[in-house]
Amino acid sequence: MFRNNPHNAVTLGLKYNIICLIFTMLWLLLLPVSVSAHNVTVFAWVDGDTIHTQSKFSGGKRVKNAPIVVYDVKDVLLLEGKTDENGMFSFKIPKKTALKIVLKASMGHLAVWKLQAEELGEAESKTAAQPTGMKTSLVTDSDSAGIQKNVDVSESTKMSLGRREIEEIINASLDKKLRPITEMLADAMNHEPGFTEIMGGIGYILGIVGIALYFANRKRNR
Amino acid sequence: MHISEGVLSPAVLIGGAAFAAAGVAVGMKNLEQKDIPTVGILSAAFFVASLIHVPAGPVSAHLILNGLVGLILGWKAFPAILIGLSLQALLFQFGGMTTLGVNTLNMALPAVICHHMFKNSLKTGMGKHTVTVCAFATGFFSVLLSGIMVGLSLYLTGEAFLPAAKLVVAAHLPVMFIEGILTTTCILFLKKVRPEILEGDHVS
Repeated sequence: MFRNNPHNAVTLGLKYNIICLIFTMLWLLLLPVSVSAHNVTVFAWVDGDTIHTQSKFSGGKRVKNAPIVVYDVKDVLLLEGKTDENGMFSFKIPKKTALKIVLKASMGHLAVWKLQAEELGEAESKTAAQPTGMKTSLVTDSDSAGIQKNVDVSESTKMSLGRREIEEIINASLDKKLRPITEMLADAMNHEPGFTEIMGGIGYILGIVGIALYFANRKRNR
Repeated sequence: MHISEGVLSPAVLIGGAAFAAAGVAVGMKNLEQKDIPTVGILSAAFFVASLIHVPAGPVSAHLILNGLVGLILGWKAFPAILIGLSLQALLFQFGGMTTLGVNTLNMALPAVICHHMFKNSLKTGMGKHTVTVCAFATGFFSVLLSGIMVGLSLYLTGEAFLPAAKLVVAAHLPVMFIEGILTTTCILFLKKVRPEILEGDHVS
């Protein structure tokens, strides 16, 4: 309609150019704060006898009140829970096997995190050492053997008790020291598409267009 | 809007893939040589749009742009969206390869429906207001319908339909308005600069 009147078209054209520009600018302004989308991730780590999980949308937004389900290796349901306002959910280790932690965010989003049995091993040795006592710890731990060779039986009891305590203290302080790192790792798990991915995708599309044009051309020239 | 892997039942996945394949076949049949660059550009736009995250709303949502793709391409939106989604799944880990069919169907079918509802508004001789309203409606309703279809996919897997659909639609309400405005802007711009893209031959 506005193509019929050339004079009108010029002024209208200007107006639309300006509007388009404004929208493009708005669009670009939106970009840097929010180059992300809604893929969800769940990250879990062991702290003592507790497992912490953190759930996020890839924009960094925490997944609130989303159900988390924990399975063992054979897909047997162990426990269920919900993330809190910060997307966190913590629970005691339910079973000393590899665990599969599934986050069921709304709208068909799902993320899985697998905890290996070795990651739970630390907690396992701690709880397992308690009932079996110092004898096993004496036998199994080659590191401490050197120290314990020189001491008699009564002293070795004291030593092994002390050793267990030391182990606990080390574990606790390690957990404390490593917490920022595990949290950083949790953040890093949030794989955001970068420039490479975007340009790569556009490149693929251009390539597909090229191939399609090539075949279409060949068909026409035949 | 992308449904992740492992959420839907195999029946829904296979059904979705079958319908999507049919849609892609129709699109490819309509595809002529001169359409190829347009399809490519819109596919690229669709691919990148998913990175633009709309910070409003209860959950994280992003632009989809299926309305614009559908309005211009019609059935050819199916191959364009399929390519866009495959690359999003491969490079961005949105959705997944097994849910590709369902996701394509969920985003492309509303686009085609809106195309058939509103395509007449793009022909020459239509008032500017009509074009504006129809382009906005395309952007708005294609996202709305996609949301309903995501709800439907989840329902067919065993979730309650109304809460699921309501949540998806509510989450995408800001997106619907933004897409309406964006689609209008793009269509008005194209109508001024390259009106031939919007007319005649692309009716399918």
